[in-house]
Amino acid sequence: MIHTTQHPKDITVVRPGVERLTAVNAKAFKDAVVALIEDGASQLIIDFGTVTFVDSSGLGALVGVLKRVGHRGDLVVCGLNADVAQMFQICRMDKVFTVYTSADAAVQKLAENQ
Amino acid sequence: MPNTLDAVDPMVVALCAHVAEALPPAVLVRFQICLSEALTNVVKHAGAPASAVIDVDATINPDAVLIELFEAEGANPFDPRDHAVDLAALDPLAESGRGIGLILHCADAVEYSAPDGPARLSLTFKRDQTGDLE
Repeated sequence: MIHTTQHPKDITVVRPGVERLTAVNAKAFKDAVVALIEDGASQLIIDFGTVTFVDSSGLGALVGVLKRVGHRGDLVVCGLNADVAQMFQICRMDKVFTVYTSADAAVQKLAENQ
Repeated sequence: MPNTLDAVDPMVVALCAHVAEALPPAVLVRFQICLSEALTNVVKHAGAPASAVIDVDATINPDAVLIELFEAEGANPFDPRDHAVDLAALDPLAESGRGIGLILHCADAVEYSAPDGPARLSLTFKRDQTGDLE
């Protein structure tokens, strides 16, 4: 379900591949990203640019991915529309994840940090 | 709607479209979050068979939009108010447990009754506000 784009310095941009990340597909999303991590990806950007809605299951999956990355790498998010940003804010996820406006901005920052 | 997870999103989208003209945009965001969490909770935790049906009524009143979810026959009664979760107090790295808190946070009023027939969850959204809640 996910789509990935590789960038220099082992940075991987992940697009969820669904318009709505909810209870019906959150586990599949998490499993797919965890598989990337197990294959060695450690600098991850989750690009929500085409996602219009995220429910608590979607956020839970994202937190699960973050915990799987742990201290071995970095995971940031980008491209939140106003509705998704409000969901992040209500659930205090804006305090957990570093949020960038675009994938390009996130790629640049992660590359600079290495 | 069918008592299945894949039926939740289409129902939420349809309900949002139905009330879009009646609610300010910021309230509509809360409406969508609340409905998604409430329907998902009913499907996942009420214990009714997948063949059961959840009835959803939407009423646009002059001052508020009222959503009534009639749980499927055989569902276990579940009053979300008895399981209130303070979202601010929840472990930010918890992977679950936000749904009930979101229902209570995003609706302006939550009522629950379980008479002899199907249990009813009522969610009210006021129409005359900006909708921003912290």
